[in-house]
Amino acid sequence: MNGNSDLTGKTMVITGATSGIGRAAMRALAARGAYVIGVGRSADRCREAEQAILAEFPHARVRFAIADLSSQRQVRALAAVIREYVNSDGGGKLDVLVNNAGTVSSWYTTTEDGYELQFAVNHLAPFLLTHELMPLLARAESARVITVSSGSHYGARIVWDDVMLRRRYGVLRAYKQSKVANVMFTAELNRRLGPASRIRAYAADPGLVSTEIGLKGTSGLANRVWRRRMARGVSPEQAAETIVYLAASPEVEGSAAVYWKDCRPKTPSCYARREEEAARLWALSERLCGLGDAEQTSVTVPQRRAVAPGG
Amino acid sequence: MSSYVLITGAGGGLGRAFAAECASRGWDLFLTDVSCDVLEPLAQGIERLCGVRVQTYAADLTDPDAREQLWQHIERQGMRFHALLNVAGIDYQGPFDERRVDEVQRILRLNIEATVEMTQRVLHHRDPARTLRIVNVCSLAAFYPMPMKAVYAASKRFLLDWSLALSQELRGSGVTVTALCPAGMPSNPAVIRLIDAQGFMGRATTVNVNDVAAGTIRHALAGRSLYIPGVLNRILRLAGEAVPPQIVAALIDRRWRQSHEKVYGSSRGKVDTTATATIAAQQA
Repeated sequence: MNGNSDLTGKTMVITGATSGIGRAAMRALAARGAYVIGVGRSADRCREAEQAILAEFPHARVRFAIADLSSQRQVRALAAVIREYVNSDGGGKLDVLVNNAGTVSSWYTTTEDGYELQFAVNHLAPFLLTHELMPLLARAESARVITVSSGSHYGARIVWDDVMLRRRYGVLRAYKQSKVANVMFTAELNRRLGPASRIRAYAADPGLVSTEIGLKGTSGLANRVWRRRMARGVSPEQAAETIVYLAASPEVEGSAAVYWKDCRPKTPSCYARREEEAARLWALSERLCGLGDAEQTSVTVPQRRAVAPGG
Repeated sequence: MSSYVLITGAGGGLGRAFAAECASRGWDLFLTDVSCDVLEPLAQGIERLCGVRVQTYAADLTDPDAREQLWQHIERQGMRFHALLNVAGIDYQGPFDERRVDEVQRILRLNIEATVEMTQRVLHHRDPARTLRIVNVCSLAAFYPMPMKAVYAASKRFLLDWSLALSQELRGSGVTVTALCPAGMPSNPAVIRLIDAQGFMGRATTVNVNDVAAGTIRHALAGRSLYIPGVLNRILRLAGEAVPPQIVAALIDRRWRQSHEKVYGSSRGKVDTTATATIAAQQA
């Protein structure tokens, strides 16, 4: 089991580490000796979380970096801070990246980049952060990228003609779309890395958890529904088990399974497994993050190029 | 010739929603805001998302010299416009006697002076081939005398009356003018807290920014002179017309104090100006 394995010498990053599942996972991984860099939005909450871990485990090696993941500039700046931390006290390599931070908003909110908040925080931020940290992950003997998805991804699809859901926004609709994107990103990352890669990606389904994610940006009915759901959910510590397992257990090594729940592989939705859809999402995400050669093609619509004069 | 949509206050919640809405229609954008820090990521994001051209120019529109420079820049670029969205607006809410003189002046300069000047200037830089759509972001506050937001509400009243008159005046000249009168919009966490503190009424009168932006553009394209998003808001406005303004002011005062006490503890004296200034800017 993942109970006692010693993680000394491992370097890990967890986003959304000041509360809920992320905090519980950080605590568990730090307790076993890993050097864990937590990411949070508020300096106060980061300090509080750091002190809480150190109070319990005085020898834990933990550090926090502050970033608002809704901003791509801040995601890039965060990657630079992580690089610095990893190079100075993390052995120059990153063994585990846990993309855990997620958000929910009942009101339609745009980020500073002009994107819908949940898509930006829950999907684009992990996509960009993973890309930025890839060189560090490549330096580890065997690295894992764990992205926290959810059972909400079942039945969800990417709304291609309105990805930002400007025309028909619903809090659950946006959440489900971002969570299916997490699974598709994970599967596509593995395909792109190839079976021989020392980096593996996993999507973790924490189950129904009593965290406050659904309370933060919601009000009214959604807020009340979430409170009821919370009452039936498991504790953040139990929910973090799958993440901790994926981050720490040697048993996971070499597994080709993409989606994990209760420390066991589970089949993700049929839609999430469709390769063309995942490849399309990857290309869109690259474009929206300004990565690859997407930058040059973004201004001209592809169809238009096909009918260019002389063509 | 390139034809653009000019959006002021583009970096705020409503401005960003307008930028996304217009870009999704394939329109090229010219965005202004006080800070280039908010303009750059937005322009980049919108370009990547919609593939339109987005130009930016940072300017403090409360400053007449900055406005002059802005228009010189536009002149040099030879830009033409088929829409102007006057989104920039500000408020420092709280008791009038506690506001600094320059704060009150900024409200008047941005909400009234800058909006009127931008509109006047754009009429001379329109794209001759298209109908020019002007949108003035007023507020539901324009319909009522509002204690604690007295100057702001009155400035929006000015915009509303002026906008409606201008719309009539320009009828038939290929220019439409639309006054947008939204309730507070949930575009940042501080406003969302205020809306929640107002309970059912707060939520029921609130409309998502993306819907406000889309509805406004639809109304502008249809040449409508007034758009109030939200059915309940339209009813409240009609009800407000039937009640004497002194009574409306007293009722608003009561509701405002209650919700503020929930959020900030006290309605007088302890209002966090930086937070409320941004809130109001978002509320437009």
